[in-house]
Amino acid sequence: MKILQNSNFMALSKTAGMKPEEIIELIKKSGLTGRGGACFPTGLKLEFTRNSQGEKYVIANADEGEPGTFKDKLILEKNPNNVIEGMIIAGYAIGANKGYLYLRGEYSYLKNKLQKVINNAKKIADKLKIYFDIEIISGAGAYICGDETAIIESVEGNRGNPRLKPPFPANHGLFNKPTLINNVETLANLPLIILDKNWNNNLRLFSLSGNVTKPDVYELELGASLKKLISFGKPKNKIKAIYFGCSGGCLPYEDITLNNEAVKEKGAMLGSCAIIAVDEKHDIVDVATNIAKFFEYESCGKCTPCREGTMRVLELLEKISLKKAANEDLELLEELCRVISATSLCGLGQSSTNHLITALKYFRNEFTDKLK
Amino acid sequence: MSFKDIDEIIKERKDNLLLPMLQAIQARFEYISEANAHYLSRKTGIPFSKIYGVITFYEMLYTEPKGKYIIRICNSPSCYLNGSLNLIKFLESSLKIKSGETTKNRKFSLEVVSCIGCCDKAPAMIINNKVYGNLTEKKIRTIILGLK
Repeated sequence: MKILQNSNFMALSKTAGMKPEEIIELIKKSGLTGRGGACFPTGLKLEFTRNSQGEKYVIANADEGEPGTFKDKLILEKNPNNVIEGMIIAGYAIGANKGYLYLRGEYSYLKNKLQKVINNAKKIADKLKIYFDIEIISGAGAYICGDETAIIESVEGNRGNPRLKPPFPANHGLFNKPTLINNVETLANLPLIILDKNWNNNLRLFSLSGNVTKPDVYELELGASLKKLISFGKPKNKIKAIYFGCSGGCLPYEDITLNNEAVKEKGAMLGSCAIIAVDEKHDIVDVATNIAKFFEYESCGKCTPCREGTMRVLELLEKISLKKAANEDLELLEELCRVISATSLCGLGQSSTNHLITALKYFRNEFTDKLK
Repeated sequence: MSFKDIDEIIKERKDNLLLPMLQAIQARFEYISEANAHYLSRKTGIPFSKIYGVITFYEMLYTEPKGKYIIRICNSPSCYLNGSLNLIKFLESSLKIKSGETTKNRKFSLEVVSCIGCCDKAPAMIINNKVYGNLTEKKIRTIILGLK
């Protein structure tokens, strides 16, 4: 895999001889977009943060919590060097001297190895006269802390409740200072862009799991066919549906093109490229109930639509499962999904009902079959 | 009770960041007692209500003692589709506790958790920082018996 090519601090040496503006220009030209799921152009983020005044910070978002996503863990395990090198390069480009790597609590077993990489990187950076400190902050088990403003709150020592945006972290981030927050895979790509003129912006890491016998991370170009990806997974039974994590929604299994536009056109979101395959032995209402439980549990409680809504969605789904629901309940559920999606404060709430909106679009009969 | 350890933890954390301080207290005492949280509050000036709010927000911070082994079994879709529900039931009946509880001898705590990023080894669980994947009832029995 390209993403696992160890840049071995060659990129850092090269950037030490470049002006920060040149680095940002190079990243902008590469077309790199955020790999956490929101796809914001990384070069612009670097530029905005560089242009803000005051002390600055870099945060590496290693709070990979989207169910079905495990690509960042692979990078942190197999090529942590590029992540740390990427953080230092980003810090140099925006003019920051301090970075935090926010590692989810569930990945604590990676901490010692990452600390060694950080210690080694510090020595190399010092020799190049690039002064940048990195500290690992361990998360403590909260899905919401994958949201960039919730991470900031968490590092500052608060409950991980997301902030309203604007202001954006590039202006008012950690300790109210300009802050660059990037996903692990985004940062790991920075050294590769610096070193490789032919770096390919279309390569993505697809985390494939669910009802397949070979679940794994597969590196494919955007635009690859879903059938090809699923064939790598060698499913035992016939696949019925695929879920793009918990927050990206579901689609019936057919040969679609794996890129943002094609998936969006069908009403789902590619997001962090998590693909969960569901075979025909599973009931969509059961899967929906499982996902609704996830959101009900992980809602941070800050805003009402998400806190109360995820709870009511779960209640309605359980009522449907128990065959106690009538058609009005299904209509209420649909309305609730729209309201939660439209009025929640952050991405968690806004996307918490995508799975249901798409399931009711494509697998409606599985719900209506259970009505009384 | 001595608060010397907490004094040291506060001294080491010059920036007063609460989350790492709470994690350090928990690493030392296994959980964060009310007395320790009050002491931390007095010494740092962080209101007790805020400290309590933060502890209870995060799943991995505890206000009461847990078992020696904390079993976190995943029930998010990838694990669920590979039979995690039956394994959770199996764990509950083997340990004679429900999710969220601790055995009387304080050896095991059981937590049903959201995705632990081990979807490639589903169904999976983490026990005190070690991942166990591709679980079956038989495998779980061996793992539990192997924990002293």
